[in-house]
Amino acid sequence: MARSLFLFDMTFWLYLAALGLYIAYLFARRPTMELAPAGHPSGGYEDRDGAWAAQLGQVATLVTVFGWIMNTLALTTRAYERMEHSGTFAPWSNQFEAMSYVSWAIILGYVLLEYRYRIKAIGAFVVGIGFIAMGAASLLPYRYQTAEPLVPALNSYWIYIHVSVTLTSYAAFAMAGGLGIMYLLKERAERKGSRSRFYEAFPDLETIDELGYKAIMIGFPMLAFGIILGAMWANYAWGGYWSWDPKETWSLIVWLIYGAYIHARMTRGWEGHRAAVYAIFGFLMVIFCFWGVNFLLSGLHAYA
Amino acid sequence: MNNPDTLTDQETSRPSGLGWEEFSREVVEFFASIKLAMFLFIAIAMTATIGTVIQQGERPEVYIKEYGEEAYRWFVRLGFIDVYHTWWFTSLLGLLCINSLTCFYKRFPAVWRSMRQDKVSVTLPFIKGMKQHTELSVSSSQEQTAAQMVRLFAEKGYRVLAKKDAGEVTIYATKGIMGRVGAHMAHLSATVIVLGGLLGSSYGFQEFGVCLEGQTYHIPRGNFDLRVDKFWIDYHENGSVKSYNSTLTVIEDGASTVTKTITVNDPLVHKGIWFYQSSYGDAWDQIEVARVNIKDKSTDKVVKTVDLEWKKEQTVEGLPLKITMTDFVADFAFNSTEKKVFSKSAEHANPAVRLAVDEHNSVQATPWIFYHYPDLFEVKDSTYQFELVGYQPKKFTGLQIAKNPGINVVWIGSTMLVVGMTLSSFIYHRRLWAKIIPADTGVTVHLGGTTHKSQIDFQKEFKKLTDKIQA
Ligand code: HEM
Repeated sequence: MARSLFLFDMTFWLYLAALGLYIAYLFARRPTMELAPAGHPSGGYEDRDGAWAAQLGQVATLVTVFGWIMNTLALTTRAYERMEHSGTFAPWSNQFEAMSYVSWAIILGYVLLEYRYRIKAIGAFVVGIGFIAMGAASLLPYRYQTAEPLVPALNSYWIYIHVSVTLTSYAAFAMAGGLGIMYLLKERAERKGSRSRFYEAFPDLETIDELGYKAIMIGFPMLAFGIILGAMWANYAWGGYWSWDPKETWSLIVWLIYGAYIHARMTRGWEGHRAAVYAIFGFLMVIFCFWGVNFLLSGLHAYA
Repeated sequence: MNNPDTLTDQETSRPSGLGWEEFSREVVEFFASIKLAMFLFIAIAMTATIGTVIQQGERPEVYIKEYGEEAYRWFVRLGFIDVYHTWWFTSLLGLLCINSLTCFYKRFPAVWRSMRQDKVSVTLPFIKGMKQHTELSVSSSQEQTAAQMVRLFAEKGYRVLAKKDAGEVTIYATKGIMGRVGAHMAHLSATVIVLGGLLGSSYGFQEFGVCLEGQTYHIPRGNFDLRVDKFWIDYHENGSVKSYNSTLTVIEDGASTVTKTITVNDPLVHKGIWFYQSSYGDAWDQIEVARVNIKDKSTDKVVKTVDLEWKKEQTVEGLPLKITMTDFVADFAFNSTEKKVFSKSAEHANPAVRLAVDEHNSVQATPWIFYHYPDLFEVKDSTYQFELVGYQPKKFTGLQIAKNPGINVVWIGSTMLVVGMTLSSFIYHRRLWAKIIPADTGVTVHLGGTTHKSQIDFQKEFKKLTDKIQA
């Protein structure tokens, strides 16, 4: 147990370092540049970085990747410890592990996003959320952090897939929430006509908006899949696929909220500002579904 | 939306007529509107929270204690104690089904048409008006350019149509219509799932059975018998419970056909009926063994301790006694009108056994003796006093017994939902139009493209395509 907890600790510090580096990256000096015409970013965003920013950005990425590897190691070590203990390995079997897994998924998503779109400014927000998830996990009391054997109701193969799929969708929504915050900041800066170099590393509003939408479009079907897997499990374990237990109801509520979002985007005026506010709201609902329900409402899903 | 043709809600106001035609069009318009869909999504989400905050299906006392009598009356009136089965909640779900079906009815035909054939001829301003558009000068001939572009689009997985008229060539290329089909599959799935749910609640059942080891129970709805062979609990090393297990045997026409040990996550399924390990506990009307002290009334000394088995007559060695334990109740209560003893709860709050005592073949008595109140009754004329000092409860296993004929329909709907949503998330529909017009040297290519989402990806792809055409 001590071994995995040590690795989780290391992950926490690495993510903190990565977050600090990404923030430093935003503040680093950039050569002034002509504004690219809206909607047509000139090449990669990295082209805008000065020497300092470029270096900071590289280190930040490196530390993030390293942190993610550490996170992976921590989870596999935990899986191994679980296996030795109780014969099941799912390293997302209690609140602490679930949160570590969510931060793992958020960071993985971020690294893929950075690799694909080459926008480092997002790191300060999304790695930030991953770090907060990890940090909140490590603040849980010790007895929540250890790998107690699963109670009989949870001891099943379904936990591997149902929980991991659902948690991954939460990570996608977290990403969208981070992008929403970023959108609002950038928008405010533009409205005020701020020429602070801080915002210059940000992609243009349209790109932020579009990426947020994409994140939700990944999370939305995944959450549906997760909920359905939960229903299949319930059908297998509890004698009915849907029992309106608080956790499953809340995940349905979250899903409906995002359902409204994707349909709203087809009507005029639901892009940009409103979509950003809505994505943040949706993420808050996810947090409630993930945390609030476990601690405030009772039901079959209360892990601890 | 930047899509020049269709897809967005075109809620244009029409002159309202009185004819059936106008009326039905208005109705379709209303039920196919995205605004209604958004309203329903949010309304269902908001009302669903009620049932997670207020406990559902509890006894009145529970609510009155927590919220007061006045609030409880309102809860009943509004249906807050069983939100998910109220008429208004069900109506919202029904409306969502109607909404998505109407949406399918109204919009799918267009998707279907564009799967088979699409508008090739467009005007030059149409292309120029698209969000992604560009103008390229290419030095090769019109035919060569057209051939090259067709090849390029086809290589990228586009379906390509070309048309030549009056000196200009128009090319149309499209890809990713499956994303659209996926969305509509998701729309149909909602109704399929709801139908499956209805089927289950109309023709299925869910029961709870308390079963004792060694007993056989008839399952009338399956027309077979079920014997509970054994119930036991496995523990982890640290003492926490690992699993609850019951071994069940199905008996048909007097012969055992299936035997299976079920655990919490592993039910027995027979003839569409599912048997789940659901709970366990101590039976309230039966025990295995009772330990009884026999006292001599005159000396008040225990002269013998006997362990009585359930409904077995036992001769007490050395004493002129034969004792049988005939009944047990976990929580003693007496119904004075029917003159019957019963257990008023399943808790072992006031356990008592009834003995049939045969003394010297003369005194015959059937006293109740109480675990908590040893002196409550005595057997008249008997030399002895009997005391219940302990017992070994009989375990029951709680089985959830369920049949749900709608379940497969629900799974079909679920599959449609997940597949449809995944298709619509990862495949996006895009269309390109190009006009190749002869110029002074070579040709001018006007290329325009549109997608209903994934703008940045499309922008990248568009840029790559133009680079290729120019090369
Ligand atoms: C009942 C649950 C529903 C689910 C699960 C659902 C799901 C979806 C999904 C996944 C998409 C694809 C989104 C995208 O490509 O961005 C979509 C598109 C769409 N939805 Fe729904 N939807 C539902 C209900 C409705 C309702 C009630 C309406 C009524 C107006 C509606 C109207 C639309 C329209 C117009 C589209 C765009 C279709 C296209 O691209 O051709 N949806 N829906």
